[in-house]
Amino acid sequence: MTWDQVLELIKNILFTQTGVPHLIGIHGVKALIMIGISFFFLYLAVAKEYEPLLLVPIGFGIFLVNFPLVPLMGFSEHGYPELLQAFYKYGISWEIIPPMIFLGLGAMTDFGPLIANPKTLIIGAGAQLGVFVTYLGTLFFGFTLKEAASVAIIGGADGPTTIYLTAKLAPQLLGANALAAYSYMAMVPLIQPPIMRLMTTPEQRKIKMRQLRPVSAREKLLFPLIAAFLIIILIPAVAPLMGMFMFGNFMRECGVVKRLSDTAQNSLMNIITILLGLSVGATMQAEVFLNWKPLLIFSLGLFDFIICTFGGLLTVHIMNRFLTEKMNPLIGSAGVSAVPMAARVAQSEGLKADPDNWLIMHAMGPNLAGVIGSAAAAGMFIAMFQ
Amino acid sequence: MRRYMSVKTAVWLLILCGIFILADSSSSWASVKAEKESLKLEFSRTGSVITAKLIPRAKSSSVLIDFKVSGGDLADVKGVDFEKAARPTMDHKDFRSALFAASIQNISKGSTVKLSITSGFFSKSTQYWIFNENLADAWMNGEAEIIEHPKLVCEMVLTLKDGGKFDADGAADGRITVIGGPKDSFWGYALGTLFIRFFGIFLVLSVLMVGMIISGKIFQSMERKKEEAASMAIALQPEVEPEPEKEEGEVLVTENDVDPEKIAAISAALHAHFSAMQSTDAVYLFSPEVTSWTQQGRQRIMGVRYLAIDRIKS
Repeated sequence: MTWDQVLELIKNILFTQTGVPHLIGIHGVKALIMIGISFFFLYLAVAKEYEPLLLVPIGFGIFLVNFPLVPLMGFSEHGYPELLQAFYKYGISWEIIPPMIFLGLGAMTDFGPLIANPKTLIIGAGAQLGVFVTYLGTLFFGFTLKEAASVAIIGGADGPTTIYLTAKLAPQLLGANALAAYSYMAMVPLIQPPIMRLMTTPEQRKIKMRQLRPVSAREKLLFPLIAAFLIIILIPAVAPLMGMFMFGNFMRECGVVKRLSDTAQNSLMNIITILLGLSVGATMQAEVFLNWKPLLIFSLGLFDFIICTFGGLLTVHIMNRFLTEKMNPLIGSAGVSAVPMAARVAQSEGLKADPDNWLIMHAMGPNLAGVIGSAAAAGMFIAMFQ
Repeated sequence: MRRYMSVKTAVWLLILCGIFILADSSSSWASVKAEKESLKLEFSRTGSVITAKLIPRAKSSSVLIDFKVSGGDLADVKGVDFEKAARPTMDHKDFRSALFAASIQNISKGSTVKLSITSGFFSKSTQYWIFNENLADAWMNGEAEIIEHPKLVCEMVLTLKDGGKFDADGAADGRITVIGGPKDSFWGYALGTLFIRFFGIFLVLSVLMVGMIISGKIFQSMERKKEEAASMAIALQPEVEPEPEKEEGEVLVTENDVDPEKIAAISAALHAHFSAMQSTDAVYLFSPEVTSWTQQGRQRIMGVRYLAIDRIKS
């Protein structure tokens, strides 16, 4: 063998079997930028503890897929999906993971505050205002109808719903939408308080609400059945999400399947969260992610969030015009379904106005209503495009 | 403990967004081009009817559009790229399905035929707009007659003249080529469905609220009835005097428990016990002479006294 042949062989090995030469050039630079972005999200998750349960797997997914020549998001020569492609295909594309997350969420949820005060469901509906306003606004920027719907649902502040709808309507935007949704959920205590103070007077913030009535175990048991029946009969498209949500809650409340309920709340949620985060992160490859659309999506997502908060507060003001027993308008901001952060923000703002005013349980009602409202909004969009 | 994002981190996010601006040098700031949605257009023929199957812009499932001609033969229907018919006066977003080029032949020169386009995807307000690049104003309304059929199916009937303004080849040659597509107002559709959907959410959650209020009232009345029944049952039970409270270790004896003879016997025994404990000197009643008889008598008295003391102790 001559030296030329040896050099040729080495060069061939370098270019086809290692990733180092592929870091040179525009594609390499973009890959390095994405790896840097993954470090940023990992830093936020680990050092600052912002949504670590999701940002760690998402960040690591971004980190892994942006290396050159990695067999992760393609198909093997036999046509089988590679590792992360399999997670994405069978978990997200097949719409398995988001409903399973809703199963776990339902098993963790106590609907007592909502059952005790069903009026707060209207607040959950009003807090979806931003979804529809953003939908219109997104169309102005040249997004397609389906892309606009998937961006608009970010304001619902419900990660699984955002992922479910985006995977269905605009899978090319999955990474950006999911990141925007979870980032803004972490920013709820930053975004909401100024809007809450702007939309309420100091006297309104001091309104004390009557203690919620006790809710019997039987009511909590029958609620998932009643709610699932009514919602699914009206919006069949939302059955995968709402059905799993109410099934999880029923398992919790029936008390005879503690093992299943514990599994749904703990092991299952943990497994699904790992697969979800990796799959979402894996969609953020440089050639897909580095363009104007994610930047626009982040901006529109913020606008969406603000309008949703505004919508919830406005809804309480309108309701108070007709109610003899007024509600504290601060609980309107909890209609954004970032459970339980939005309720905690309402509580803390209420305490600032009156240290003796405990709003947390009153705010949990609209918070849970927001989950149902955002799922209903997603169902509406799915039905619209069917 | 979960923490929330600080202003500083939010600023870093904005800087990150700046990286996006630098990273993508190929696009401009002024516009974000809408991506073309894949319509997946397929054609099939059944007799004289050509059916187009496609996934329109605003749907996830496919729709069927049937083309039929009366007064001639429908030779072919093909899809046309919007780019070829793009004009500043026409927003392609208004065409939710596709642009079609229909070719009609075997007609008399200069004659008129009717092209009917039928689909469940159309509504009463749908129009059929026709493109003719030979004209100054390339796009024009086909002024189709709308016929409604059962099951929400609408038929649009176009009247086409060989060599007329709708004929793309512009010549009365016994063949008509018409390029166009069904048009709905994009913003009208978006706004209309939006309001319906937004208020639909209120409707759905209101129905759920009413359901919960009704079920809540039923459960509350059931709980109230249960409590009333329990309190009635308690009220009907006979009154029982409560037992006096006893302290631990103490044994209470009431008047009803012991009869008077027992009380007298216990009192005498207690007196004898305490008397025995107090007196230390013997009491001499007669003479100091101690006979065997008197000694026996004393012993017997002493024995009885001890028995009494023992009885008290036990």
